[in-house]
Amino acid sequence: MEKYEKVEKVGEGTYGKVYKARDKTTGQLVALKKTRLEMDEEGIPPTALREVSLLQMLSQSLYIVRLLCVEHVIRDLNDDNDDDSEDSNSNRKKESNKTNGLNQKPLLYLVFEYLDTDLKKFIDSHRKGPNPRPLSPALIQSFLYQLCKGVAHCHSHGVLHRDLKPQNLLVDKEKGILKIADLGLGRAFTVPLKSYTHEIVTLWYRAPEVLLGSTHYSTGVDMWSVGCIFAEMVRRQALFPGDSEFQQLLHIFRLLGTPSEKDWPGVSTLRDWHEYPKWESQNLARAVPTLGPDGVDLLSKMLTYNPADRISAKAALDHPYFDSLDKSQF
Amino acid sequence: MELDLENPLTVADHESLFGNESDHMPSPNSISYLKSKDFLVSVRRQIISLILQLCADNFDPYHSFLAINYLDRYLCAFRLPHGKPWILHLLAVSCISLAVKMRKPKFSISDFQLKEGFIFDSQTIQRAESLILDALKWRMRSITPFSFISFFISLFILKDPPRVSALKSRAVEIILKSQSEIRLLGFKPSVISASALLSACHELFPVQFRSFEEAISSCSFVNKENVFLCFNTMQEIEREEFESKSGDCETAVNVLDQHWSFSSESEKTTERYQAKEGQ
Repeated sequence: MEKYEKVEKVGEGTYGKVYKARDKTTGQLVALKKTRLEMDEEGIPPTALREVSLLQMLSQSLYIVRLLCVEHVIRDLNDDNDDDSEDSNSNRKKESNKTNGLNQKPLLYLVFEYLDTDLKKFIDSHRKGPNPRPLSPALIQSFLYQLCKGVAHCHSHGVLHRDLKPQNLLVDKEKGILKIADLGLGRAFTVPLKSYTHEIVTLWYRAPEVLLGSTHYSTGVDMWSVGCIFAEMVRRQALFPGDSEFQQLLHIFRLLGTPSEKDWPGVSTLRDWHEYPKWESQNLARAVPTLGPDGVDLLSKMLTYNPADRISAKAALDHPYFDSLDKSQF
Repeated sequence: MELDLENPLTVADHESLFGNESDHMPSPNSISYLKSKDFLVSVRRQIISLILQLCADNFDPYHSFLAINYLDRYLCAFRLPHGKPWILHLLAVSCISLAVKMRKPKFSISDFQLKEGFIFDSQTIQRAESLILDALKWRMRSITPFSFISFFISLFILKDPPRVSALKSRAVEIILKSQSEIRLLGFKPSVISASALLSACHELFPVQFRSFEEAISSCSFVNKENVFLCFNTMQEIEREEFESKSGDCETAVNVLDQHWSFSSESEKTTERYQAKEGQ
């Protein structure tokens, strides 16, 4: 790890701290993600091995943040001068490790390419600040296309993201590039109900089948999130800003109508289904007033209740909304 | 997600398979280097035989196959300074350990340590694992010849399940056997796969050989010349093996194999096979 010089902490990813760092020899900026490897009796844990190698495979796509390398460090705890102390468990662990005579703590750093901003900050900068203005329709179209490309790539490798949100989409403002980040570690490092820092993971992009407790969800969960992100780029504010799972469902039902067995067979048998007020669906176009008819059509196909009828990422790429996009650049 | 060698990407996506296979094999330069050094060739042979020995009680041949795939890529990426027996042994154990972890969730490395000889503790194995992971850039979801079997079989003219499955299992046998053969190191996984299926077809369904060969050759993803070379090498190995087994006792059964060549004679030979089948 002497290769890198930490520049600053840029955030708390769902699975651990993220640092902006500089490669000392090349000067290249990278994002360092520290992950704690639970040491076990059998060397490198199988889950970490499988998930990181999956990530390595997925990151071959242009629309996924590139995993540059993996640094596996066995570090002596006594050298641990890192700012880890707020982790209340770590001190206890140090103690117990010392008493066990195990003074080595294995650490896995994932080294990713660095992009200067994410879609959340990008949208925020268009809403507030010195020069508030809408995102240009051409940019929304291009970002959505790149997002669908990335999602299609994950799905074609059998991988669900499950936590797509503007914060997880990194943006290169100069080049107009969007890439999916924070991917694939879901299974290795447990499902993120609470994040690493115990802040509550946002529900705004969560698909109704997940909110209703379905356990057999599939690629549709990501497409729902893509729909929410699409609408948010147009509106510059979230489409369904719920602050609890119940509120989240009510937000969705108020706009799209309370789902019935007719438009979503099986919905009333889902684990967390209750009797909800029966709202009629509103005109979706009114929620995204600046979006043209093709865009509204694509959005409605992403926000379809029945996951089996929801548009796939691959099909979305062929939607007429993208007809006016110059696809040769992708 | 556990690694399925026949379907490493978990969904059928042939273009990505063919597009990415080169990332899962050593570079041509490092292969020629390895082949040119007797020391490395002998080290490779020794470690492979250790891996096969350590996996002998294990019923899944894909474990040893994947372990040897990692070994080859490691040996080519990282030049071994010397061949002390314990290092060879540690490499064998660590490659197996990584392979099994990729394939199944629960296992104990002690299942794969020899009852006698070197026993390594988990920290030593972990260090060796890390070295291998670095050398392989964590690309552990190897694309192997098995990954292409279903694609090439879809080009096969016969569709009835018993024959397709016979063809497949014979091809799998050939692929497993051919892995340790240094002459075949360097062929792309898809080329090995196509050649193994052609060899199996040649053996089991000679009448359909010609059409299968044409279907594979006309597939835009494969290099026809390389399949030709690889297929002939496989035939050569088969012949040598046959000769060494049968010693100097002459049998007429496989006489046809002796004069087999890929394209030019195939028509003639097919006719002879047809005549033979008709008997």
